[in-house]
Amino acid sequence: MECVIIGGGAAGLQAALHCRRCWPEKSVLLIEAEGDVGYCNPLLPQFMAGQVEEEKLFFWQPAEDPLLQIRKGIKIRSLDRPTQSLNLDNQEKIRYERLILAPGGQPILPLLRREDLPEGIFPVRTLATARKIRDWLLKHKEIVVLGGGLVGVKTAAYLQLAGFAVSLVEKEDHLLPQALTKPSARLVERHLQRLGIRLFLGCLLEDIQEEKGILKSAKVSGQWIPGETLLIAVGSTPNIDFLENSGLLQDKELLVSPALQTADANIFAAGDAVTISTSGGEKHKPWTWPQAVTQGKLAAENLFRSVPLPLNVLTRPNSMNLQGLSIVILGAPTPDAAIISHDRTAEGIYRELFLRGRKIVGGALVGDISGAGLLHFLMINGSEVDGDVARFLKPQSRVFYQLLPSSKRQRRRARILFPKEMLS
Amino acid sequence: MKVIGVHLDRCTGCKTCELYCAVERGSNGKTLLKAAQETPLPQPRLRVEGNNEFTFPLQCRHCLQAPCLNACLNAALVRDPETNLVLVREERCIACWTCTLFCPFGVIFPWPERKFALKCDRCAFMENPVCLEVCPCQALELVELEDFEKIPGQRRAEVGKTLAGKKEKGLLLLDLGE
Ligand SMILES: Cc1cc2nc3c(=O)[nH]c(=O)nc-3n(C[C@H](O)[C@H](O)[C@H](O)COP(=O)(O)OP(=O)(O)OC[C@H]3O[C@@H](n4cnc5c(N)ncnc54)[C@H](O)[C@@H]3O)c2cc1C
Ligand code: SF4
Ligand code: SF4
Repeated sequence: MECVIIGGGAAGLQAALHCRRCWPEKSVLLIEAEGDVGYCNPLLPQFMAGQVEEEKLFFWQPAEDPLLQIRKGIKIRSLDRPTQSLNLDNQEKIRYERLILAPGGQPILPLLRREDLPEGIFPVRTLATARKIRDWLLKHKEIVVLGGGLVGVKTAAYLQLAGFAVSLVEKEDHLLPQALTKPSARLVERHLQRLGIRLFLGCLLEDIQEEKGILKSAKVSGQWIPGETLLIAVGSTPNIDFLENSGLLQDKELLVSPALQTADANIFAAGDAVTISTSGGEKHKPWTWPQAVTQGKLAAENLFRSVPLPLNVLTRPNSMNLQGLSIVILGAPTPDAAIISHDRTAEGIYRELFLRGRKIVGGALVGDISGAGLLHFLMINGSEVDGDVARFLKPQSRVFYQLLPSSKRQRRRARILFPKEMLS
Repeated sequence: MKVIGVHLDRCTGCKTCELYCAVERGSNGKTLLKAAQETPLPQPRLRVEGNNEFTFPLQCRHCLQAPCLNACLNAALVRDPETNLVLVREERCIACWTCTLFCPFGVIFPWPERKFALKCDRCAFMENPVCLEVCPCQALELVELEDFEKIPGQRRAEVGKTLAGKKEKGLLLLDLGE
């Protein structure tokens, strides 16, 4: 087989489809451990809550293409680089000419490495488990969500809105600690509390209690919270155990260049499984959906290029719409960055930017996300913002003109505003 | 592909284009009077930007390398194979607003009341875009993008002027990178 792709998530599927577009002569095989390819993970909270039907999750259906083969329900056990082959769990061996690794992440399961776990404990990550959760929730209405990051917050909000009684547990003292500062997180907390969610901030899961093989309650910083369901959303680690003896891992990380090439020139990797290491020695883990899609496509383009091209943007901004509260995360707060903020907490709006010198290095917009695209553009371009940076913080959607150099602002000329390939 | 060009010298910032975009493309009633009574209030797909010195209507550029396309979480944003335009399939949109964060021009707008992202589709199925038809100053014009694409970057501005025939009023390409 000419191109083999491991993993049919956001990165792997895009890699496969793009491979067919870029290299129409080459045959492509995609191997996915689970039974589903082409669904939208970010919609899983709504799906579990019963608000979105399963067929709505799928954004792609296979079309007739003799050179694209998709094999589901088969797991790769190991990679043998000297023979350029993969060992599958059904004992089959597959040879590849070029390989893209897109195995994504697996949920971290804290404290629960026990064998005899009661029923009712599920990680939030894949459609297969989401189906089980949805079935389970038909009979069980009290839920504890562990993890106040993006996935935990979304899961808690949608389930509460669907009529469940949700408690949300986060070990830091505020929600979305990797993305928001305390004051901006305060608005999110208020919103969730208004929906009726019980928040347990600065709390750790210590123990669980069961009754007849079913979860009964969870002990959180000394306090027992009743609930037959524990949903775990404390993040993920790369799904790279099968690469253990491949020689591609360094300190348990799958390192790739900005061109997404691994230590083996024939093997590329993309998505939530990779750590991108720049020539300056910086490491990036931009694990988000847009990045997975962009990386999957780039890996496919680079497969047969003599000089693979690098990824341009390494940021991991994110956006969330929690029914009534919009949140945009541009980048995480860092200790050395200055913070400027536009605080209208009383109206449910808090906008902040993190600056190093005159450059935007991160920020968050809560309650009013206008101007998000421009701020993100300024950030990824590393533009020095001249004049009063705070003007971008005021909620307003019409700010594009502020980015135009003054020479372009003369009225006398007719112009087409045209982006060229500025972000290519 | 045809895109909407703007004659900066003609735009007076009257926002007629915005108004009629909302009425024609966002309302059920299709008349100003009926549209104004609808809830949610119809929204335009373009916005007039600017300040006291200069104004111009800004709408989706249908970028050749459109960052919004890769960002969409649910494949709601697509490039139409026939027209090459970037479109939102509104029925697929999950209102996550991720695309609004990736469009550097800020021309995808959340429409929370209707639960989808709103952007200009250049009225592709109509003979002319509404904004262009209604502009009292004829500040908008449909231009063939390929004509510009064939010209190497540096010379684009010059040739653009010649194309339009009038030195100071020629069509010029503008991007943020310069
Ligand atoms: C509930 C939820 C909500 C989210 N919301 C957002 C959001 O709003 N915005 C956002 O940007 N991101 C969001 N994310 C994150 C986003 O889904 C991921 O960043 C993205 O899916 C990563 O894509 P990927 O292809 O790298 O990995 P995955 O989507 O995890 O896909 C990897 C695939 O590889 C398969 N695989 C792994 N190992 C093997 C093997 N050995 N053999 C064969 N197959 C294998 C797995 O079964 C899996 O299907 C969310 C995630 C979740 C779970
Ligand atoms: S929405 Fe923005 S990024 Fe997308 S094509 Fe239009 S101008 Fe480009
Ligand atoms: S708001 Fe709609 S169009 Fe925009 S990224 Fe989300 S699903 Fe896609």
